[in-house]
Amino acid sequence: MLKGHLDAIVLAALEAGPAHGYAIIETIKTASSGTFDLPEGTVYPALHRLEQAGLLASAWMTPPGGRKRRVYSLTKAGSSALGERRTAWRRFSGAVDTMLNGGQAWPA
Amino acid sequence: MAGVIETYLATLRRELDFEPALARRMTEEIEAHLWDAAEADPAWPSPDAERRAVERFGLAREIAAEFAADAVSRQSRRTWLALLATLAVTFVAMRLRVMWLGEVGDSLSVLVPIVDRYAFIAALCVGALGWFAWRRSWLPLAICLVAIVASVAAGILRAGLFAEGAPLTVLLAAAGEIALIGLLSFHVIGLGRRLRRTALLRRVQ
Repeated sequence: MLKGHLDAIVLAALEAGPAHGYAIIETIKTASSGTFDLPEGTVYPALHRLEQAGLLASAWMTPPGGRKRRVYSLTKAGSSALGERRTAWRRFSGAVDTMLNGGQAWPA
Repeated sequence: MAGVIETYLATLRRELDFEPALARRMTEEIEAHLWDAAEADPAWPSPDAERRAVERFGLAREIAAEFAADAVSRQSRRTWLALLATLAVTFVAMRLRVMWLGEVGDSLSVLVPIVDRYAFIAALCVGALGWFAWRRSWLPLAICLVAIVASVAAGILRAGLFAEGAPLTVLLAAAGEIALIGLLSFHVIGLGRRLRRTALLRRVQ
Protein backbone atom coordinates (compact mmCIF):
# COMPACT_ATOMS: atom_id res chain seq x y z
CA MET A 1 0.00 0.00 0.00
CA LEU A 2 2.81 2.37 0.94
CA LYS A 3 4.63 1.59 -2.30
CA GLY A 4 1.82 3.11 -4.35
CA HIS A 5 2.26 6.40 -2.51
CA LEU A 6 6.03 6.40 -2.19
CA ASP A 7 6.57 9.03 -4.90
CA ALA A 8 4.19 11.45 -3.18
CA ILE A 9 5.79 10.77 0.22
CA VAL A 10 9.27 11.48 -1.21
CA LEU A 11 8.03 14.71 -2.82
CA ALA A 12 6.50 15.75 0.51
CA ALA A 13 9.73 14.93 2.36
CA LEU A 14 11.56 17.36 0.08
CA GLU A 15 9.07 20.16 0.49
CA ALA A 16 10.97 21.64 3.42
CA GLY A 17 14.16 21.93 1.38
CA PRO A 18 16.89 20.01 -0.49
CA ALA A 19 18.15 16.80 1.10
CA HIS A 20 20.20 13.69 0.29
CA GLY A 21 18.79 10.15 0.26
CA TYR A 22 19.73 9.25 3.83
CA ALA A 23 18.21 12.48 5.19
CA ILE A 24 15.02 11.91 3.14
CA ILE A 25 14.59 8.46 4.68
CA GLU A 26 15.19 9.82 8.16
CA THR A 27 12.59 12.56 7.51
CA ILE A 28 10.06 9.96 6.34
CA LYS A 29 10.68 7.76 9.39
CA THR A 30 10.50 10.67 11.84
CA ALA A 31 7.48 12.37 10.26
CA SER A 32 5.54 9.08 10.20
CA SER A 33 6.64 8.23 13.78
CA GLY A 34 8.21 5.03 12.44
CA THR A 35 5.05 3.86 10.62
CA PHE A 36 6.79 4.05 7.24
CA ASP A 37 9.71 1.80 8.11
CA LEU A 38 10.38 0.65 4.56
CA PRO A 39 13.69 -0.83 3.36
CA GLU A 40 15.86 2.26 2.90
CA GLY A 41 16.98 1.24 -0.57
CA THR A 42 13.47 1.47 -2.01
CA VAL A 43 13.67 5.28 -1.86
CA TYR A 44 16.47 5.44 -4.46
CA PRO A 45 14.51 4.06 -7.44
CA ALA A 46 11.73 6.53 -6.51
CA LEU A 47 14.21 9.43 -6.38
CA HIS A 48 15.64 8.44 -9.75
CA ARG A 49 12.19 8.00 -11.29
CA LEU A 50 11.03 11.41 -10.02
CA GLU A 51 14.20 13.03 -11.31
CA GLN A 52 13.72 11.43 -14.73
CA ALA A 53 10.17 12.79 -14.74
CA GLY A 54 11.51 16.30 -14.08
CA LEU A 55 9.87 16.53 -10.65
CA LEU A 56 13.22 16.56 -8.83
CA ALA A 57 16.63 18.01 -9.59
CA SER A 58 19.86 16.72 -8.09
CA ALA A 59 23.50 17.70 -7.74
CA TRP A 60 26.58 16.29 -6.02
CA MET A 61 27.59 18.30 -2.97
CA THR A 62 30.52 17.91 -0.62
CA PRO A 63 30.26 19.79 2.68
CA PRO A 64 33.59 20.93 4.18
CA GLY A 65 35.19 17.89 5.79
CA GLY A 66 32.15 15.80 4.90
CA ARG A 67 31.20 13.03 2.52
CA LYS A 68 30.20 13.65 -1.10
CA ARG A 69 26.43 13.17 -1.45
CA ARG A 70 23.81 13.67 -4.11
CA VAL A 71 21.33 16.27 -2.93
CA TYR A 72 17.77 16.36 -4.31
CA SER A 73 15.40 19.29 -4.50
CA LEU A 74 11.88 19.83 -5.77
CA THR A 75 11.54 21.47 -9.16
CA LYS A 76 8.66 23.79 -10.02
CA ALA A 77 6.93 20.84 -11.72
CA GLY A 78 7.60 18.76 -8.59
CA SER A 79 5.91 21.35 -6.35
CA SER A 80 2.86 21.40 -8.64
CA ALA A 81 2.77 17.58 -8.75
CA LEU A 82 2.93 17.46 -4.94
CA GLY A 83 -0.01 19.88 -4.73
CA GLU A 84 -2.03 17.73 -7.14
CA ARG A 85 -1.23 14.51 -5.29
CA ARG A 86 -2.09 16.12 -1.98
CA THR A 87 -5.51 17.18 -3.30
CA ALA A 88 -6.14 13.73 -4.79
CA TRP A 89 -5.09 12.04 -1.54
CA ARG A 90 -7.39 14.25 0.60
CA ARG A 91 -10.32 13.45 -1.66
CA PHE A 92 -9.49 9.72 -1.61
CA SER A 93 -8.82 9.46 2.13
CA GLY A 94 -11.95 11.49 2.88
CA ALA A 95 -14.00 9.07 0.82
CA VAL A 96 -12.42 6.04 2.55
CA ASP A 97 -13.04 7.60 5.96
CA THR A 98 -16.66 8.16 5.04
CA MET A 99 -17.08 4.58 3.86
CA LEU A 100 -15.38 3.08 6.91
CA ASN A 101 -17.52 5.27 9.08
CA GLY A 102 -20.73 3.71 7.78
CA GLY A 103 -21.45 6.43 5.22
CA GLN A 104 -21.23 9.29 7.75
CA ALA A 105 -18.90 12.16 6.90
CA TRP A 106 -15.76 12.04 9.06
CA PRO A 107 -15.62 13.21 11.83
CA ALA A 108 -19.15 11.98 12.59
CA MET B 1 39.40 -8.47 2.40
CA ALA B 2 36.38 -6.41 1.28
CA GLY B 3 34.07 -5.16 4.01
CA VAL B 4 30.33 -5.74 4.21
CA ILE B 5 29.47 -2.44 2.52
CA GLU B 6 32.02 -2.89 -0.28
CA THR B 7 30.71 -6.41 -0.99
CA TYR B 8 27.13 -5.15 -1.06
CA LEU B 9 28.03 -2.31 -3.44
CA ALA B 10 29.85 -4.72 -5.76
CA THR B 11 26.71 -6.92 -5.87
CA LEU B 12 24.46 -3.93 -6.54
CA ARG B 13 26.73 -2.69 -9.33
CA ARG B 14 26.61 -6.14 -10.92
CA GLU B 15 22.81 -6.30 -10.68
CA LEU B 16 22.51 -2.86 -12.29
CA ASP B 17 24.87 -3.62 -15.18
CA PHE B 18 22.01 -3.38 -17.72
CA GLU B 19 22.62 0.40 -17.50
CA PRO B 20 26.29 1.06 -16.70
CA ALA B 21 25.88 4.83 -16.14
CA LEU B 22 23.05 4.20 -13.66
CA ALA B 23 25.11 1.49 -11.94
CA ARG B 24 28.05 3.89 -11.48
CA ARG B 25 25.90 6.73 -10.21
CA MET B 26 23.80 4.65 -7.86
CA THR B 27 26.64 2.73 -6.26
CA GLU B 28 28.44 6.02 -5.59
CA GLU B 29 25.31 7.57 -4.12
CA ILE B 30 24.32 4.52 -2.09
CA GLU B 31 27.85 4.13 -0.76
CA ALA B 32 27.50 7.52 0.98
CA HIS B 33 24.13 6.41 2.37
CA LEU B 34 25.47 3.13 3.75
CA TRP B 35 28.45 4.75 5.46
CA ASP B 36 26.13 7.37 7.00
CA ALA B 37 23.85 4.59 8.25
CA ALA B 38 26.75 2.49 9.59
CA GLU B 39 28.27 5.47 11.39
CA ALA B 40 24.90 6.22 13.02
CA ASP B 41 24.79 2.67 14.44
CA PRO B 42 25.67 2.39 18.17
CA ALA B 43 28.13 -0.43 17.37
CA TRP B 44 30.16 1.70 14.93
CA PRO B 45 32.98 1.08 14.03
CA SER B 46 32.39 -2.63 13.53
CA PRO B 47 31.36 -5.13 10.82
CA ASP B 48 28.05 -5.51 12.73
CA ALA B 49 27.27 -1.81 12.20
CA GLU B 50 27.98 -2.22 8.47
CA ARG B 51 25.87 -5.39 8.31
CA ARG B 52 22.89 -3.72 9.96
CA ALA B 53 23.18 -0.73 7.60
CA VAL B 54 23.12 -3.13 4.64
CA GLU B 55 20.18 -5.12 6.08
CA ARG B 56 18.11 -1.97 6.61
CA PHE B 57 18.88 -0.93 3.04
CA GLY B 58 17.32 -4.05 1.52
CA LEU B 59 18.39 -6.76 -0.91
CA ALA B 60 20.47 -5.53 -3.85
CA ARG B 61 18.43 -7.73 -6.19
CA GLU B 62 15.12 -6.17 -5.10
CA ILE B 63 16.43 -2.65 -5.52
CA ALA B 64 17.90 -3.54 -8.92
CA ALA B 65 14.51 -5.00 -9.94
CA GLU B 66 12.84 -1.64 -9.19
CA PHE B 67 15.43 0.20 -11.26
CA ALA B 68 15.10 -2.36 -14.06
CA ALA B 69 11.31 -1.92 -14.24
CA ASP B 70 11.74 1.86 -14.53
CA ALA B 71 14.51 1.37 -17.10
CA VAL B 72 12.15 -0.74 -19.24
CA SER B 73 9.55 2.05 -19.24
CA ARG B 74 12.14 4.65 -20.23
CA GLN B 75 13.74 2.47 -22.89
CA SER B 76 10.35 1.49 -24.27
CA ARG B 77 9.43 5.17 -24.69
CA ARG B 78 12.76 5.91 -26.40
CA THR B 79 12.37 2.92 -28.74
CA TRP B 80 8.85 3.86 -29.82
CA LEU B 81 10.02 7.41 -30.52
CA ALA B 82 12.92 6.05 -32.58
CA LEU B 83 10.48 3.85 -34.51
CA LEU B 84 8.21 6.81 -35.21
CA ALA B 85 11.14 8.88 -36.49
CA THR B 86 12.40 5.96 -38.61
CA LEU B 87 8.99 5.39 -40.17
CA ALA B 88 8.60 9.11 -40.95
CA VAL B 89 12.04 9.43 -42.57
CA THR B 90 11.62 6.14 -44.45
CA PHE B 91 8.29 7.34 -45.83
CA VAL B 92 9.79 10.64 -47.01
CA ALA B 93 12.77 8.82 -48.53
CA MET B 94 10.46 6.38 -50.28
CA ARG B 95 8.36 9.20 -51.75
CA LEU B 96 11.50 11.01 -52.93
CA ARG B 97 12.77 7.83 -54.60
CA VAL B 98 9.44 7.19 -56.28
CA MET B 99 9.31 10.78 -57.59
CA TRP B 100 12.85 10.55 -58.90
CA LEU B 101 12.58 7.03 -60.33
CA GLY B 102 9.43 8.13 -62.12
CA GLU B 103 11.68 10.31 -64.23
CA VAL B 104 14.57 7.91 -64.80
CA GLY B 105 12.52 4.71 -64.98
CA ASP B 106 12.65 1.54 -62.90
CA SER B 107 14.01 -1.45 -64.75
CA LEU B 108 14.41 -3.73 -61.73
CA SER B 109 12.53 -6.94 -61.22
CA VAL B 110 8.98 -6.59 -60.02
CA LEU B 111 9.86 -8.03 -56.59
CA VAL B 112 12.10 -5.20 -55.34
CA PRO B 113 9.50 -2.38 -55.56
CA ILE B 114 6.95 -4.70 -53.92
CA VAL B 115 9.28 -5.37 -50.97
CA ASP B 116 10.08 -1.65 -50.77
CA ARG B 117 6.42 -0.70 -50.47
CA TYR B 118 4.79 -3.61 -48.65
CA ALA B 119 7.52 -4.17 -46.07
CA PHE B 120 7.05 -0.53 -45.12
CA ILE B 121 3.27 -0.95 -44.91
CA ALA B 122 3.80 -4.09 -42.78
CA ALA B 123 6.07 -2.11 -40.43
CA LEU B 124 3.46 0.61 -40.19
CA CYS B 125 0.66 -1.85 -39.39
CA VAL B 126 2.67 -3.89 -36.86
CA GLY B 127 3.90 -0.64 -35.28
CA ALA B 128 0.37 0.75 -34.91
CA LEU B 129 -0.95 -2.55 -33.55
CA GLY B 130 2.01 -2.90 -31.18
CA TRP B 131 1.56 0.67 -29.89
CA PHE B 132 -2.07 0.04 -28.98
CA ALA B 133 -1.84 -3.58 -27.81
CA TRP B 134 1.74 -4.49 -26.80
CA ARG B 135 3.44 -1.20 -25.97
CA ARG B 136 5.83 -2.74 -23.46
CA SER B 137 6.66 -5.73 -25.65
CA TRP B 138 9.85 -6.19 -27.58
CA LEU B 139 8.41 -8.34 -30.36
CA PRO B 140 6.40 -5.76 -32.42
CA LEU B 141 9.39 -3.42 -32.36
CA ALA B 142 11.72 -6.18 -33.56
CA ILE B 143 9.29 -7.11 -36.35
CA CYS B 144 9.02 -3.44 -37.37
CA LEU B 145 12.80 -3.17 -37.44
CA VAL B 146 13.15 -6.21 -39.72
CA ALA B 147 10.39 -4.92 -42.04
CA ILE B 148 11.94 -1.44 -42.24
CA VAL B 149 15.37 -2.91 -42.95
CA ALA B 150 13.84 -4.96 -45.79
CA SER B 151 11.99 -1.90 -47.16
CA VAL B 152 15.02 0.39 -46.98
CA ALA B 153 17.33 -2.25 -48.47
CA ALA B 154 14.92 -2.73 -51.38
CA GLY B 155 14.55 1.03 -51.81
CA ILE B 156 18.28 1.62 -51.84
CA LEU B 157 18.76 -1.29 -54.23
CA ARG B 158 16.18 0.30 -56.54
CA ALA B 159 17.79 3.70 -56.42
CA GLY B 160 21.33 2.31 -56.41
CA LEU B 161 21.20 1.40 -60.08
CA PHE B 162 20.79 5.05 -60.90
CA ALA B 163 22.94 6.43 -58.08
CA GLU B 164 25.17 8.49 -60.33
CA GLY B 165 22.38 10.84 -61.26
CA ALA B 166 20.61 10.80 -57.90
CA PRO B 167 19.60 14.19 -56.51
CA LEU B 168 21.11 15.24 -53.20
CA THR B 169 17.73 15.05 -51.41
CA VAL B 170 17.38 11.36 -52.34
CA LEU B 171 20.90 10.59 -51.11
CA LEU B 172 20.42 12.55 -47.88
CA ALA B 173 17.10 10.83 -47.20
CA ALA B 174 18.76 7.42 -47.73
CA ALA B 175 21.55 8.38 -45.33
CA GLY B 176 18.91 9.47 -42.80
CA GLU B 177 17.11 6.15 -43.15
CA ILE B 178 20.29 4.18 -42.52
CA ALA B 179 21.25 6.33 -39.52
CA LEU B 180 17.80 5.95 -37.98
CA ILE B 181 17.80 2.21 -38.57
CA GLY B 182 21.07 2.11 -36.62
CA LEU B 183 19.50 4.11 -33.80
CA LEU B 184 16.36 1.96 -33.78
CA SER B 185 18.44 -1.25 -33.70
CA PHE B 186 20.41 0.13 -30.75
CA HIS B 187 17.21 0.90 -28.84
CA VAL B 188 15.50 -2.40 -29.70
CA ILE B 189 18.56 -4.34 -28.49
CA GLY B 190 18.67 -2.17 -25.34
CA LEU B 191 15.00 -2.79 -24.63
CA GLY B 192 15.46 -6.55 -25.07
CA ARG B 193 18.39 -6.53 -22.65
CA ARG B 194 16.43 -4.60 -20.02
CA LEU B 195 13.34 -6.79 -20.39
CA ARG B 196 15.43 -9.94 -19.99
CA ARG B 197 17.13 -8.52 -16.90
CA THR B 198 13.83 -7.42 -15.34
CA ALA B 199 12.34 -10.87 -15.91
CA LEU B 200 15.42 -12.52 -14.40
CA LEU B 201 15.47 -10.27 -11.34
CA ARG B 202 11.75 -10.86 -10.72
CA ARG B 203 12.09 -14.61 -11.17
CA VAL B 204 14.90 -14.93 -8.64
CA GLN B 205 13.18 -12.73 -6.00
